[in-house]
Amino acid sequence: MQFGGRNRVQPKGTLRRSRRWSRRQWLRATGTLAGIASGTLMAPWHYAAASQRHGIAVRGRFLYDGPPPELRKLTVDKDVDCCGKFDIRDESLMVLPQGGVANVYVYVRSRGVPVAVATAEKSARQVLLDNRDCIFKPHCLALWYLRQDLYIVNSDPIAQNVAFSPLGDLPANIVLAPAPGENTEATWRFRRGQTQPFVVLCNYHPWEKAYLLVRDNPYFAVSGDDGGFEIAGLPPGDWEFQLWHERVNYLNLRDWPQGRRIIRVEGEGVDLGTIRLRPSDLAVGG
Amino acid sequence: MIWPSAVRRKHDDSDPEARAFAQARDADRCRGGAVTLPKPEGAFGPPPSIPYNIRMLHTAFSILVSSEMKRKIPQNGDSAGRRQFIPCGDHACFGIVGARRSAASQAALLMLAILLSLGGCSSYKPPDFKLNLEGRDPTRVKPAQREAIEEMLTDLFGTPDDPRVPPGLDLDLSLLQRAAGPIGRDITGTERGLFRKHCVVCHGISGDGAGPIAEMLNPYPRDFRQGVFKFTSVAGGAKPLRSDLLRTLKRGLPGTGMPSFSPLSPEDLDALVEYVRYLSIRGETELFLLRTVVDENEPLPLQRRFVLEEGVRPIAALWRLAEEQPGQYVIVPQRPKLSPQELAAAIERGKALYQETRAQCVKCHGPDGRGDGSETELFDDWNKAKKGITDQQTRELAKWFALPLQSLRPRNFHDGLFHGGGRPEDIYLRIYIGIPGTPMPAAGPAPGTPGVFTSDEIWDLTFYVLSLARRTSSVPEDVTVSAGASEKLR
Repeated sequence: MQFGGRNRVQPKGTLRRSRRWSRRQWLRATGTLAGIASGTLMAPWHYAAASQRHGIAVRGRFLYDGPPPELRKLTVDKDVDCCGKFDIRDESLMVLPQGGVANVYVYVRSRGVPVAVATAEKSARQVLLDNRDCIFKPHCLALWYLRQDLYIVNSDPIAQNVAFSPLGDLPANIVLAPAPGENTEATWRFRRGQTQPFVVLCNYHPWEKAYLLVRDNPYFAVSGDDGGFEIAGLPPGDWEFQLWHERVNYLNLRDWPQGRRIIRVEGEGVDLGTIRLRPSDLAVGG
Repeated sequence: MIWPSAVRRKHDDSDPEARAFAQARDADRCRGGAVTLPKPEGAFGPPPSIPYNIRMLHTAFSILVSSEMKRKIPQNGDSAGRRQFIPCGDHACFGIVGARRSAASQAALLMLAILLSLGGCSSYKPPDFKLNLEGRDPTRVKPAQREAIEEMLTDLFGTPDDPRVPPGLDLDLSLLQRAAGPIGRDITGTERGLFRKHCVVCHGISGDGAGPIAEMLNPYPRDFRQGVFKFTSVAGGAKPLRSDLLRTLKRGLPGTGMPSFSPLSPEDLDALVEYVRYLSIRGETELFLLRTVVDENEPLPLQRRFVLEEGVRPIAALWRLAEEQPGQYVIVPQRPKLSPQELAAAIERGKALYQETRAQCVKCHGPDGRGDGSETELFDDWNKAKKGITDQQTRELAKWFALPLQSLRPRNFHDGLFHGGGRPEDIYLRIYIGIPGTPMPAAGPAPGTPGVFTSDEIWDLTFYVLSLARRTSSVPEDVTVSAGASEKLR
């Protein structure tokens, strides 16, 4: 069975099937419905029909057009005994010497993209946010809330606080005791997805900041140190993608107005190649 | 301008309640409020849903009927022939009360009635909910988007005069109608417009916490639209119970601008609690719509079903959470009964816990609990967004917010004033579940939070905090928990 490969994109970006369906399409739709029904009955989270295929990967790489900016040193004036010894720097724009831009979010913006069973089974049940060396690690993370919880750990010998307020969800303001010891871990469950990442703060240490994207599907990625990203397991179709970076939120590029672009996902995989980011795109020097 | 939902009382100066009512009504007029014209006893005002012109026609005929009756019934004192000026909006219109009239003046009055019915004595404009543009550049919200959001919100939640409950929501419409609308009484003498009478001056008509006097208050009145409430008995960031909001209404928040409304009847208080819940759910739906329509460019027109399923119902589910799973979310303080020696020991243990690094109490509240810790840049969630990285940024941001940036002061326990209440149970809850929307974190175990203190340890801390307050405060510690009062305030 295939996912809705014949979907075509309406001008507004919504997906609709063509009015006239062939017999084959009817058969396919019936199969999809049966798959959805069985999937819903079998598991508490939503995912669509079982697929023989493992989906298609979309990959690419962000490169910075300019000399890598220097990471500003942050003022560490709290818990100086513990945190003072670390070289804590502003991570809001991470460009590596080779020019790769890390911490750019790439995610599927289209609603209702089906998720194959294989993808659901492969994904981890928890996503880790570590308080280590007086900063959050990783700085940018994303999770699929229907399947994954946020697992927060304190690895520092001082108490840490983790506070965030997602839109339309319960706010969190968690204290974690100093490590090693008891009460150094928390598991937070989200109740709804978000359309963009929100900030995670520590009220004890104002320099600590992380970003978290909570989605209702597993089709997201955060670019790594080399600027590369890959979203795996996508069903074929024309899906709209979103780019987001903490400096500017929606990453507005020439080919990506408001950080959005519809990409035809088909074949063995889609390589978006190198996406070049100018300093002005990331509000550097502005 | 305001029209009462039902009958108006006869204007009678001997009745003190009617006099008080008339004063309230006159005050209402000063704000461009209703023309509340004297009417004969037993007359019924048309409900506010009737179109404006018909209502004005009704008003005009009321004048006629009123004067006609007064002409027939002998009047006391000098009321006969008195000309009564009624300021309404920009104009002034008048009725001639009790004048003996010739046929010509009757005809003139009829003309006036018709004119009033057509044009009106001023433009009646019921108050609207204000779109939440906090932190946004209003020019970046397209007119079509603004219209779509406002239409959808009106469709789902009605207007300040005529609230509606979206399908599937646990809100009592009859209570909402009592709290909503203009100030007045209905046919049964039940007071209406309670929110406008008691709350609007601080909390604003939309519940935005930016009423006319909000800027003068510290802390600012609560903005209900974010769905976060500071003083609750529910852990895990869950929404407050009705009883939590009721407690705040009854007891007020000592040390803030929020007074106690305990003189109001229980039904009136229930109506206000329900209206706060309504404004909050509406406000959170509005935030969802702004995110979807403005930030996400959702194609217009908006689908009602989509908004209900993605916006309203998840928010409503959060409001039901604590009620449905009280075992997990609702924290019921069980104060231990201690002898004086045990209490002294508990205070000592609490003092040690306070200094420990587990919860970092000292960081904000200072080593002696004087609110002078090393954390000085503290803001609540309503103010955080107004704070830029540099002072310049903060100044630039200020223009997108209704109220200027206000920092948060950690409590100085020696003052003996606790916003969330000074009973041991109150202090216990503040430490256990923290104060949502502020940097004060949850120290007790709850869903999603391991907690750093056990229940016993939190009691020790509570007694320590109260022991500091007792030392300097002239108010006896147990003043709020005397046997009868305690029962009444629960």
